[in-house]
Amino acid sequence: MRLRNWMTALLMTLVGFSGCHKHAETAKADPLLAAYDTEADWTDAQRIIPLSYQQAQGKRIFYQDCVWCHADATPAGPSNRSNLTPVPPLLNDGAALNAESDEYMQNIITLGGTAMGKSAMMPPYGRMLSGEEIHSLIAFTRAVAQPPYQPPARAGSQYSTK
Amino acid sequence: MPAEEMGKLSNRTRLIFAVSSVVFLAVLAISPFKDFRREWKQYKRSYRRFAQGRPDTKKLVADFRPDIDQIWLPGMNVVDRCTTCHQGITQASLEDKAVPQPFRAHPPILHNVRDWGCTVCHRGQGSATELAEAHESTLAWEQPILPTRFIQSSCGTCHYADLPQTPQLTRGRELLAELNCQGCHRLPGIERPAMLGPDLTNVGTKVSREWIYKWLKEPRTITDKDGNVTVNGYETEEEPRMPKFHLTETELRGLSAYLSLQKAKPFVPYKIDAHVVAAWSKNPELASQGELRFRQMFCSTCHSLAVTRAGETKLIGGDIGPELTKVGSKVNPDWLIAWLRDPQGYMPHTRMPRYGWSDEDLYKVTQYVTTKLTDSDLLTSVPQLGQPTEQEIQLGHRLFLEKGCASCHSIEGLNPQKDFGPDLSALGGKNASELEFGGAKIPHNLVAYIQAKLQNSASVNPAARMPQYNWNQSDLNAVTTALLSMKGPPSTSALQNLVVPRREAAFHATGSFGEVYERYKCYTCHKFNGYGGDLAPDLTYEGSRVQRQWLVDFLKNPQTLRPTLILRMPQFNMSDKDAATLADYITMVLQHPAANPAAVDAKQFTPAMAALGKQLYEVKYQCQSCHTIGGTGGYVGPNLNNAGGWLTPAWIEAWLRNPQALVPDTIEPRRNFTEDEVTALTAYLMTLRQSIKPEKTASAAASHTATDGAGR
Repeated sequence: MRLRNWMTALLMTLVGFSGCHKHAETAKADPLLAAYDTEADWTDAQRIIPLSYQQAQGKRIFYQDCVWCHADATPAGPSNRSNLTPVPPLLNDGAALNAESDEYMQNIITLGGTAMGKSAMMPPYGRMLSGEEIHSLIAFTRAVAQPPYQPPARAGSQYSTK
Repeated sequence: MPAEEMGKLSNRTRLIFAVSSVVFLAVLAISPFKDFRREWKQYKRSYRRFAQGRPDTKKLVADFRPDIDQIWLPGMNVVDRCTTCHQGITQASLEDKAVPQPFRAHPPILHNVRDWGCTVCHRGQGSATELAEAHESTLAWEQPILPTRFIQSSCGTCHYADLPQTPQLTRGRELLAELNCQGCHRLPGIERPAMLGPDLTNVGTKVSREWIYKWLKEPRTITDKDGNVTVNGYETEEEPRMPKFHLTETELRGLSAYLSLQKAKPFVPYKIDAHVVAAWSKNPELASQGELRFRQMFCSTCHSLAVTRAGETKLIGGDIGPELTKVGSKVNPDWLIAWLRDPQGYMPHTRMPRYGWSDEDLYKVTQYVTTKLTDSDLLTSVPQLGQPTEQEIQLGHRLFLEKGCASCHSIEGLNPQKDFGPDLSALGGKNASELEFGGAKIPHNLVAYIQAKLQNSASVNPAARMPQYNWNQSDLNAVTTALLSMKGPPSTSALQNLVVPRREAAFHATGSFGEVYERYKCYTCHKFNGYGGDLAPDLTYEGSRVQRQWLVDFLKNPQTLRPTLILRMPQFNMSDKDAATLADYITMVLQHPAANPAAVDAKQFTPAMAALGKQLYEVKYQCQSCHTIGGTGGYVGPNLNNAGGWLTPAWIEAWLRNPQALVPDTIEPRRNFTEDEVTALTAYLMTLRQSIKPEKTASAAASHTATDGAGR
């Protein structure tokens, strides 16, 4: 009888060991450290926005092609924005751009202002930027929008920030 | 044992047998149970559950595979089982940030996961099927996952050429070159220029021992702990070239003694015409006239000066040459005159162009520099050094070699030690166990090691000879990225085929053009066929772009074409002959195949075409959003007031059809013009003419507002 108890104990121990499972913990990483790039909030330089890979690509294209008219400061100094009528929206102008759908943004960048019934001063970029690049630009716009961009309730905005 | 008892088992034996059978069966059962509980199988099951809740369940379930998934690329040494758990990696619908890891799709990049694997870029242990083993450093595998913020380094292991997608890597490589890291370290792909720091063969003829002492003690450029750079006490954004070495008083005395005696080839003093001196020396306008010439000649394109405006002092001007705010208290005035007349005579590799000086200009500018750009307090903190003693000279000579000075500065007749610092060409692939951490309290991994070494090399090795650098966080990360990309030569021949080499830039100017090109150092600012600087426009195809007469006028009297840009082209006082030599060569040789001058005849343009072109320009395409004509229009593209006198019609047509074909990184969007529209717009632009006449006062005024802007 003692022996049986002893055997059962051994068996339970074995089972117990095998049930042990290494649960690898995933440490909650700092979003800034995990980001591909960052952008300081245009209205509050202290707030640093972490950018995903796609948003980081959009940032690169923005500072190359779009910054001249859609920002108030450019890498070359003065901006061309004040020089244009109608005045183009700032890229982070959430009040103006959050309401526009991703499809609309895609179209106006690809086809230009004329095609969308807006100012002809906005040139078409469809023959210069790829669809992927234009997607990333929109993703960057959504990332820096102030007030913050809220994806529409309907399913399927590709660029939701949440 | 009696025979009848053979074959009979006692109850006790039966019991033991029964129990051990049960135990044995139970132990056998553990194995399938453990197998069922494996980490990757749990991920498989949770992926299935996750797929059930998605709108595109059908596709996700159809693509689901229940077993271990492996990407095997024998040529690249890749055996990656990462996709066993990262099952949605190629599912476009799972790109959303809301999708939990490890199921999220990879963001779109040019390399397909199935063709390249994962560890090629992200490192980690590809063949592992447990999270900890795959991602982290283990005893058997010391290449953990690379933190995302350094991921661009992986692009650099194959792409030796710079990519637009990897600005951090490019910046890191630039910093490695700018900070002269290749002076002491072997760094693949970082070109070692002919001269890293100034040649010191004749430095004793240029500056005093006291000045050398002061410089070595506090190199004029000081960077604080946050990476803020000050030059002569003024804040700037440029990085210091001369790093700070921690030298003792004896060492300072020794080095200054040794260097102040370097006068191997004394300069020949130049006597400025006595009439010029007589006419100007008593003139109260002398210094201000000198300053005016200094500005008109665009010295500030390469040299900066501290300027106080509205109570704020900052450095204004370029960083190709040294900052000059206090240079009058530094150099010997006779040396300055000799230097300005023939910089290469003092220092063969200098990028300073040889201007065509008149005695009058030379006198005015040197008087301005030696009387106005001074600081009487510059050397007050330096002790009385007196005559160098033999002992000091010996010590200085030894230190010059031991401290690594000779790695960047040459002195004729002195042979520097080869490979002064460690070879870094394979640093990025090192295992943590190969690194020396000393007593440093930092995580034992490669990234932490590199960053500790860069910030304070003594923290990991007290005997390190590396000087002190101070970094801001983004530069530190950029340099770390560049160093991580240096993983040595590819290990297999198949990998060698994947390497995208840096394009060998070659432009050898020859003949009479070569002589003028070398004298004015055109390549310091302009690029020719990939070779040269990037401060000013790329001139590889300048011959297709501009008309010869315009070029001659521009060289004689430079004007800026873009309203947002600051004119930086120096006034070289170029002779007609030099300007003609440059213009002839450029228009003949620097041609783009897509702009064929024979295909366009400017005579065929009619006024009707031009009128249509004007209409297209102003109404349909609204080019004025970026270009200026007649004072109205945008600041982004070049001013077109003189397009007809500046550009060739062949270039305009080719440009309108496809700007990126001519200049790949131009920001002018490629439009969908019809051929008729191209002709009409060209006809219109060719009617725009405006004579450019020298306006010296205007250009001088412009230089007052010179600020550091973009380079093109």
